[in-house]
Amino acid sequence: MTTKIVEKTFEALFALEDLREIWRKTAPFHNLTKEQKEEARAILNNVRKTLDEIEGEIK
Amino acid sequence: MSKGIRLELRAREELFINLEPLQRGGIVPAESRKIAISYIDGYSTCDYCLGTLHIVKKPPICDFLTEVTDFLGMDRAILTHGCREAKFAIMHAITEPGQVIVMDENRHYTSYVAAERAGLKIYEVPSTGYPEFKIRPEEYASTIEKAKKESGELPALALLTHVDWTHGNLVDAEKVGKICQEYNVPFLLNTAYSSGRMPINGKRLLADFITCSGHKSWAAGAGVVGILAIRDEWKDKVLKASQRYKVKPIEILGCSARGTSALVLMASFPYVKERVTHWDEEVEKARWFSGQMESLGEIRQLGDKPHNHDLIRFETPILDKIAQKHKRRGYFLYEELLKRNIVGIKAGKTKSFDLSTYGLSKEQLGYVIDSFKDIINKLS
Repeated sequence: MTTKIVEKTFEALFALEDLREIWRKTAPFHNLTKEQKEEARAILNNVRKTLDEIEGEIK
Repeated sequence: MSKGIRLELRAREELFINLEPLQRGGIVPAESRKIAISYIDGYSTCDYCLGTLHIVKKPPICDFLTEVTDFLGMDRAILTHGCREAKFAIMHAITEPGQVIVMDENRHYTSYVAAERAGLKIYEVPSTGYPEFKIRPEEYASTIEKAKKESGELPALALLTHVDWTHGNLVDAEKVGKICQEYNVPFLLNTAYSSGRMPINGKRLLADFITCSGHKSWAAGAGVVGILAIRDEWKDKVLKASQRYKVKPIEILGCSARGTSALVLMASFPYVKERVTHWDEEVEKARWFSGQMESLGEIRQLGDKPHNHDLIRFETPILDKIAQKHKRRGYFLYEELLKRNIVGIKAGKTKSFDLSTYGLSKEQLGYVIDSFKDIINKLS
């Protein structure tokens, strides 16, 4: 459990850095293209899944 | 955020278009921010210390420095805390107090301060002054001659600011290198605003030393970090080790950037290697932006024309006239730009200011132009 929850925590943080990159590239108004919206949704799904996995490990 | 000192969240790159010339080349890509998160703790470079920082294999600092050396076209490279520390290390290593250094008038203040700290007598190569402020390479010859005549000996070092911090002028370094070679004066090229943005080959430019700024032009924030690259013939002086601690280079006090900043510099390196291949596009964008600004009227770009760098200084009498009558005086421009989500031009500046277009898209720069137009139309 120990290694997995730490790795998953970094995975979630790293995915959020990718999301942050989208906000940087589209500053200041964040008018996202279709591809960027898809990328943002994929990141969010990945983060949710990762957080669920962490939660599953600490139950 | 913190329970101790209250710190504001900094989301400048996410919420604004940032034109600050100090910061644009140091913006860190996502992959490097991920590395910064995991290496944030103190001495994170030192888990597998081999005695000194530049030989560490895990993380691969040693391999990275070998690649950087090739990238800069030099023989050896080490990490420093910044470009200024690299300049001082060279001055301290190869000169004696009381000797002469020649440097361009457009030099960064840290070049001057480093020379003062090393006890050197400074001779400045004059710029052409307003409005271009060019450094003519041939002036190095006349300044070396003057220094020789007045001090009785050749300068111990010549320093050139490849691209200066106020006008973004790019100087022909190879010509300066040739002059230094003819006089047998060691040549230090300060590339704080050039390497990491544009391709640089130190040997081709006849440089003995290259100094670089990681946080200014190598997409490496997370603290401060620099690179000192040298030709082999200088290794015994510049990389001289302590007599007592045989692996510790004296000039960087043994080990320099011992943490996140070094790792971010390394992580950003693939990104930097790729981005320098697009330098022509950056110059084209800067020239386009400069033309658009001048077309607004009563705005003049200073420095090299056509411009050869993303750092651009404008003289803006039209904005200064507005400031004379505006209730917020010189602060109106900063505040009007802020309302439009644009930052990076210093508050209170309306007579002239510098900015950088580096890494911004044409769409973002177009928005900046439209914003200036809107402010001028509304207030003049």
